[in-house]
Amino acid sequence: MAESVKVLPDEIQAIIEVHEWDLRTREGVERFRELKAKSLPSVALDEELMYESLIPPQEELIAEIQRRFKEKNQGD
Amino acid sequence: MSNNDSSQRFIYTTQGVCPPEIHFKINKDIIEEIRFVGGGCPGNAQLVSRLLKGRSIKDVLDQLDGIDCRNQTSCPDQLARAIIASANGRLKPADSFRVHQDKGDYTKVGLIGELVGNHQTLAKVLAHLKDERVQAVYCLGNLTGRSADNAELLKFIRKQKLTAIQGALDWQLAQTEGTHNLPNLSPKNRDWLLQLPHVLDFQIQRKKAIAFFGDYLQQLPGFSDFEPFALEMNMVCGLTNFMQDETVFPALEAMIPQFQADIIIFSQARRWGHWQVGGKDFISVGPAQKKECLNWGLLNVEADAIHFETKEIAA
Repeated sequence: MAESVKVLPDEIQAIIEVHEWDLRTREGVERFRELKAKSLPSVALDEELMYESLIPPQEELIAEIQRRFKEKNQGD
Repeated sequence: MSNNDSSQRFIYTTQGVCPPEIHFKINKDIIEEIRFVGGGCPGNAQLVSRLLKGRSIKDVLDQLDGIDCRNQTSCPDQLARAIIASANGRLKPADSFRVHQDKGDYTKVGLIGELVGNHQTLAKVLAHLKDERVQAVYCLGNLTGRSADNAELLKFIRKQKLTAIQGALDWQLAQTEGTHNLPNLSPKNRDWLLQLPHVLDFQIQRKKAIAFFGDYLQQLPGFSDFEPFALEMNMVCGLTNFMQDETVFPALEAMIPQFQADIIIFSQARRWGHWQVGGKDFISVGPAQKKECLNWGLLNVEADAIHFETKEIAA
């Protein structure tokens, strides 16, 4: 799943921050539970669980990131 | 239970003195904790520990040098050797939990949950176990309790030569300090509890099983997420809340291929239960006595099929 994020184009990488958690660790488990995730792999955007057990098509992921970016920067 | 990253815990096996082990912690070059475990003069040993706590290795070594007691060595001399060995890397930091491997070849084992100091419960359960012809009996933590007659129970377990692991309450009672609200135990019994394994590793036919008490192990100094069986513990304790949260079973299933064990047994949830997820068996061991009922668990593996049953006896 992390790979699908790492291969995003540079202009998208420039507007996101990526964190990856390992479910083998206590920290990863804690984050997994905070996000109320149920299965692996899971992707959350802005603390909101978006994709579970599936790797989203790149276009869909890009569109969602851009939508959120625009929403946050509307007043600028 | 501090979990300071720069502090390292060591266990030194002594030679020629009464206590078989010295447990100590060093933070950079400062002694944080010393405990002579399993024998010797508990009062003197405690005094030595208190006097040396907070001092630098160099200071301590100067004072420990040249003390003789028996066999041309002494507890202070052994401590000096232990500290030197830890400083020059010959003694490696201890694992955060002790694993006991039972090398027996079994098909049928008996599991006994928390006894909380009740030796009569244990005697009754053992009598019932005999009828079932189990090949091994395991006491799975919280042997001791808050108000019960712990010493009698521990004596009985030793006499019966039962395999036991430590529970959260046993760990608390094994501490020399901060146990004021807990029942008094002799130094011998405290040391015995401290030396109990935290994890039991056994083979039942071709299945590998592990048993541990619960999440206090994750708080032990130096607990690493990558120690053997830590993954099983993290999944049972943290992810599934002792198998009570079934919504995360899909995630559990995704992690299961990395497990070392086929059967994972735990006791903290204080209820009896058996789950089969992703080809692995999870067993929750409940208390040995609940109201008017005594319980124990029968684990039986035949032709690779795992059977688990909670046995009930009238108290």
